[in-house]
Amino acid sequence: MKAIEELVSILTRLPGLGRKSALRIAYALLRADLSFSETLAERIRTLRTSVHFCSVCGSYTETDPCEVCSDPGRDRTVVCVVEQPQDVITIEASHEYRGLYHVLGGLLSPLDGIGPDKLAIRPLLARIRNAAHTSQPIREVVIATNPTIEGDTTALYLKKALEQEHVTITRLATGIPVGGDLEYADRLTLARSFRGRTPL
Amino acid sequence: MPFEQVHIASFRNIAECDIPLGASRVFLLGENGQGKTNFLEALYVLCYASSFRTHADRDLLMHGSDAFLLRADWKDSFDAPFMDRMSLLYRAGEKKEVRLGDKILTDRKELVAHNPAVVFCHEDFGFAAGEPEERRFFFDQCAGMLWNEYIDILRSYKRVLKHRNAALKSGEEELLASLDIQFTRFGMDLMQTRARLAVLFHEHFPQFYDQVARLGTRVNIDYRPSWSLDSTFDQILAYLAEHRARDLELKTSLSGPHRDRWVFVHEERNFAAYASTGQLRLASLVLRIVQAYLFAQAEEKRTGKRRYPLLLLDDVLLELDGSKRKRFFELLPDPSESVQAVFTFLPEEPWRDYADRSTMVLRVEHGRFTREESI
Repeated sequence: MKAIEELVSILTRLPGLGRKSALRIAYALLRADLSFSETLAERIRTLRTSVHFCSVCGSYTETDPCEVCSDPGRDRTVVCVVEQPQDVITIEASHEYRGLYHVLGGLLSPLDGIGPDKLAIRPLLARIRNAAHTSQPIREVVIATNPTIEGDTTALYLKKALEQEHVTITRLATGIPVGGDLEYADRLTLARSFRGRTPL
Repeated sequence: MPFEQVHIASFRNIAECDIPLGASRVFLLGENGQGKTNFLEALYVLCYASSFRTHADRDLLMHGSDAFLLRADWKDSFDAPFMDRMSLLYRAGEKKEVRLGDKILTDRKELVAHNPAVVFCHEDFGFAAGEPEERRFFFDQCAGMLWNEYIDILRSYKRVLKHRNAALKSGEEELLASLDIQFTRFGMDLMQTRARLAVLFHEHFPQFYDQVARLGTRVNIDYRPSWSLDSTFDQILAYLAEHRARDLELKTSLSGPHRDRWVFVHEERNFAAYASTGQLRLASLVLRIVQAYLFAQAEEKRTGKRRYPLLLLDDVLLELDGSKRKRFFELLPDPSESVQAVFTFLPEEPWRDYADRSTMVLRVEHGRFTREESI
């Protein structure tokens, strides 16, 4: 049927959705109340107009600045640098971190033509310099990019770019996962764990 | 790691067959173009989920088919109490599905540790007589077989190298310092593993080669890394920084393990520069034998049991004279060591000279296999 096929073809362009899942969604929508389909369509329609990038950290928000940036209870002396807005949501869900964020909007990847100018690195430097003249200067930058070739290249580049600023640069620990087993760890993970070992 | 039974469907010129293979030596006899090499290729694809003749899986499809299936039951050794099953299904335009037992494998790397194969084929001649890149390919393949983690390091190094070359091409100099740290880290890991491998080849290659060639003097293999083996991490970083202008000028990374060389040395000279075709052909065969021995040795160290890879020998004896062929056969691991070797022969070759009662002989004609009951 044309209507189902057209919907499936659009849905399969979304990440993680194959044809089977898309068909399941289409049939579920056909069975659901009309009000459900209408609400879903409305939410999708307004998503792009109601959600923006925070002008300070670059995360997703409906208010500007975002809830994190405007929260007076957050530690404004620590900034966690992440690759994409979703990473902010992931870290927030851990309830472990109380500082601010800065979203780069990608990772350095010369192969894909992504250089420093295509990432929010200059705004990060500006944030650090502007905060230096306030009562709460940024003292620590936590780099939370993924431990991949591109994530590591970005982290190393940031380390160099921030060398002149009076901030401590830290990187999220990598290695054996909690509840993991040494026996099943691959060599690269083990090597990273040894390099990043901490005193007890 | 012998195969006990193989099922092949719609692969090259093999329409469908079920072949029991429970013998330590299997001889495939047939004229050219009948399907001998296709059969070896099917076994190799079962071992590694890729071919040694083509990178395109669709080339493996039988003409007019849109899918092929390979399935095999194999054992750790002929006397092992149980069998494992592996299968590979390829449908045109889809990702191939590789199963080990019921488990679907997602990374080919996992196969290397399970049931590796060593193929001796005409193209191996390049390992001895070809460009340095071909020798690097062979030694990388060896290192990956002995130390599975080497595959990860090599993949990471190649990715950093691509990024570095892209940055050099686009003149993004400011990125090079960050990339060089990773380039050096992975590069040093590669270099150290290759140096370990060189020591192992030094122990076996000269003796094995002389056993067949009888030159009277030893032919050795030297590992000549692009960066000095004695260099520290900081020294390599400094070297890269010092030579950055040249790299930028030529828009490529002029040093690093991708430029390492492996050189055959005989009486302090580059053997490949003056050796005969036969001598070089033999060198490439002996490299493969050493590869198989080193794997068996590493397995013995790891598990306490010597375990050889499957040996696939494709028309490789044709270019050796009679006495060298005989000595080459003597160099192969003894069938009593639970090693399985599959050979291809033209019918007019003296294959009976190398067979014994336990050898399984299969006649190959138009992609069909008939067992020769009496040899």
